[in-house]
Amino acid sequence: MANRQSFLSRLVRDFVLNKYLYIMMLPVIAYYLVFHYAPMYGALIAFKDYSPMKGIMGSDWVGLKHYQDFFGSYYFWRILKNTILISLYTLVFEFPAPIILALLINEVRKKKFKRVVQTITYMPYFISLVVICGIITDFTNADGVINHLFMFLGYDGQAMLQKPDLFRPIYVLSEIWQRIGWESIIYIAALMSIDLEQYEAARIDGASRLKQMLYITLPGLLPTITIMFILRMGNLLNVGFEKIILLYNPVTYETADVISSFVYRKGLLEFGWSYSSAVGLFNSVINLVLLITANAISRRVSQNSLW
Amino acid sequence: MKKIAAAGLIIAMLGSVLAGCSSGGKSGEDAAKGASPGGAAESATYPLKTDEKLSYWGDITGNLVGVKASHDEIPFFQKWQEKTGVPLEFTAPPAGQSKEAFNVMLASGDLPDMIEYNFIGDFPGGPEKAIKDGYILKLNDLIDKYAPNLKKYLQEHPDIDKMVKTDSGSYYAFPFIRGDEYLRVFQGPVIRKDWLDELGLPVPETIDEWTTTLRAFKEKKGAAAPFSVVSKPRFFNESGNGAFIGAFGVNRGFYQEDGKVKFGPAEPGFKGYLQLFHDWYKEGLIDKNIATADTKAVDSNIASGATGATVGNAGGGIGKWQPLVAANDPKAVLVAAPYPVLNKGDKPKFGQLNQAYASEGTVGVTTGAKDPALAVRMLDYGYSEEGHMFFNFGEEGVSYTMENGYPKFTDLLMKNPDKLAPAQAISLYARSSYNGPFVQDKRYAEQFFALQTQRDAVEIWRNTDAAKYNLPSITPTPEESSEYATIMNDINTLVDEMTIKIILGTEPVDQYESYVAKMKSLGLDRAIEIQTAALQRYNSR
Repeated sequence: MANRQSFLSRLVRDFVLNKYLYIMMLPVIAYYLVFHYAPMYGALIAFKDYSPMKGIMGSDWVGLKHYQDFFGSYYFWRILKNTILISLYTLVFEFPAPIILALLINEVRKKKFKRVVQTITYMPYFISLVVICGIITDFTNADGVINHLFMFLGYDGQAMLQKPDLFRPIYVLSEIWQRIGWESIIYIAALMSIDLEQYEAARIDGASRLKQMLYITLPGLLPTITIMFILRMGNLLNVGFEKIILLYNPVTYETADVISSFVYRKGLLEFGWSYSSAVGLFNSVINLVLLITANAISRRVSQNSLW
Repeated sequence: MKKIAAAGLIIAMLGSVLAGCSSGGKSGEDAAKGASPGGAAESATYPLKTDEKLSYWGDITGNLVGVKASHDEIPFFQKWQEKTGVPLEFTAPPAGQSKEAFNVMLASGDLPDMIEYNFIGDFPGGPEKAIKDGYILKLNDLIDKYAPNLKKYLQEHPDIDKMVKTDSGSYYAFPFIRGDEYLRVFQGPVIRKDWLDELGLPVPETIDEWTTTLRAFKEKKGAAAPFSVVSKPRFFNESGNGAFIGAFGVNRGFYQEDGKVKFGPAEPGFKGYLQLFHDWYKEGLIDKNIATADTKAVDSNIASGATGATVGNAGGGIGKWQPLVAANDPKAVLVAAPYPVLNKGDKPKFGQLNQAYASEGTVGVTTGAKDPALAVRMLDYGYSEEGHMFFNFGEEGVSYTMENGYPKFTDLLMKNPDKLAPAQAISLYARSSYNGPFVQDKRYAEQFFALQTQRDAVEIWRNTDAAKYNLPSITPTPEESSEYATIMNDINTLVDEMTIKIILGTEPVDQYESYVAKMKSLGLDRAIEIQTAALQRYNSR
């Protein structure tokens, strides 16, 4: 009891002492409450048969029915596999790309060239996804630019988006093209914070530029890379459906259909709000677990972590 | 400090959860109050007198995409308010996304007074469920009291009355009715007549003749994609109406034969169709990019002469392509070909034939309506004599003139000074070129199909047995609807995948049987059972 009173009095004292800090904090707290915590209550509909006219509370409870439907679905294993594979390929091939680009840009001494390269590489990021996918579709057509290139080299032209085997490479490569410039910005910024004296010292010791990169630049970047990696892990199951549904067609379903596109076809078009929420919640839980695991491993191994 | 802040956060969180509980339950009671003052059963005189402004949610027709961005800019909708005397506030979903936007609107719980939507085709569970879930009102009493024009029409046309109702006899919307059989057929195979003449070939009737023709197009005319069709979102969308597929005695969905409901892709004939298209694709008679061919791609193939045959509409197909293709090749003529059959002289089993009540463009009154009676009286205008002329032809003196009792579209529509196609120009002043809450008039089509080839097309495509085999617009019961949707969702994905994979040769034609087995394991028999029951309910309406 004594302890609690002291807690309360400490609380009051703290408020009085730091009242301006608390007031300044209010908008931020309100933001999180309104936009991040309040909507969580809506996740309840994952366990209900939601009907907007009855409201969230008024809808009937159905327990785990939507989860059973999802896990029991004929396509469950396929979409899970596709989601994980596309995510992993992106992680393996797309994640390192901006790091490499940042390192390369860092080595360039000509200011002008550097800026030109940066502008060109992050341009695609600002183009609407619909346009990007239109470009991809045109380029990969049987008579598209890419096929003309292959035909010039003596191969047969083929409509690439009609080949299930090619879907993932097309997806990942276009992902790299789209995001490499934008994502490299954060690494370039991190590079700026590396102490120049270290390089000077290294040069005096006779380290080559490659050595400098390996022993100064990369270790300096490592905390940023780790953080980005952990954050990426937290999105492993979120393969965005926009790009998928703009690029896939029934021939490529077997390699391209992911959880989100499946839910789009099933949940959104069929008005299955509860079903989509159930799958969304499942995704979030898995993602959270992955995030925590990655964070824990990283803290253990490299002392870098989110918390 | 950190701990204290966290404690505050939790308390605030609980508060917000509790606050959330109290809201969200309203809006149901509004449905009960229906009557409004001054409701007489006899015909209303338009314009009605009211100060109320009603809200109206509906798509802007595809004809006007890129021409007008909102209802308020379209003369028809301005005049409609003037003529009925009821001011309206319009909301339109983004083009091509009406289903998603509709979905979001329902989920928000914030309903306008009236919704124009396809409650049979695009509302999972159908109209009965829409009423049961409390989105739209059952209109029986309201129509009795406030919609004498619609009521009269339905009484005079009991066959249409049967389509417009649900199984349990509820009216749920102001229907779009194709007033004449002539208006119900508008789609079929289309082919380059000038090429046929040049090659000395007849208009193909049988599948074998088609093969010969396409081969000749490819070899002698250098067509890179002799046959191309829109395949977004699924391969050969238009095959849903039975083009080509019908030659093998099946279609892409459910149909009735000998009193039984059947699912085309699971019937043996479907394999014949897959085999044919597989062979055609292999031989290069079908567009190489077929799986990704959208409207734009098909349009450009036809315009450039890469494609010589397709399946399309009289208005939006022949009418659109003829000028495009003629611009590249002045001799080019597109004509309709009959729905193909296996043996010469057979009557095609399937072909595009819409129901007189097509279920798109219908307007429901929502449970959120402030004054349902006013909305109903306003919507009834389209079925009055004056409204009939207005919806079909627009305004006399502006968009049509009366010549010997025949409403003739003016040049403002048919030769639009802003270079709009007739379909677009008509959509500005009237709704006969698409749909809406009224009875469509044959006299619109007689003028709209400006080319002789278009008018002939309808006659050629009409010659099918589709009326006998097509299912009417039936819906599962609200209870069965989610089960049915789940089954058919999986099966449709499977059929889409199977069709395109076998045709492109990613999988051999022999795999067909294993796909049928998979359809069965996904519950096809149950789906057929549900459809059979729905058909029985329909027949006994």
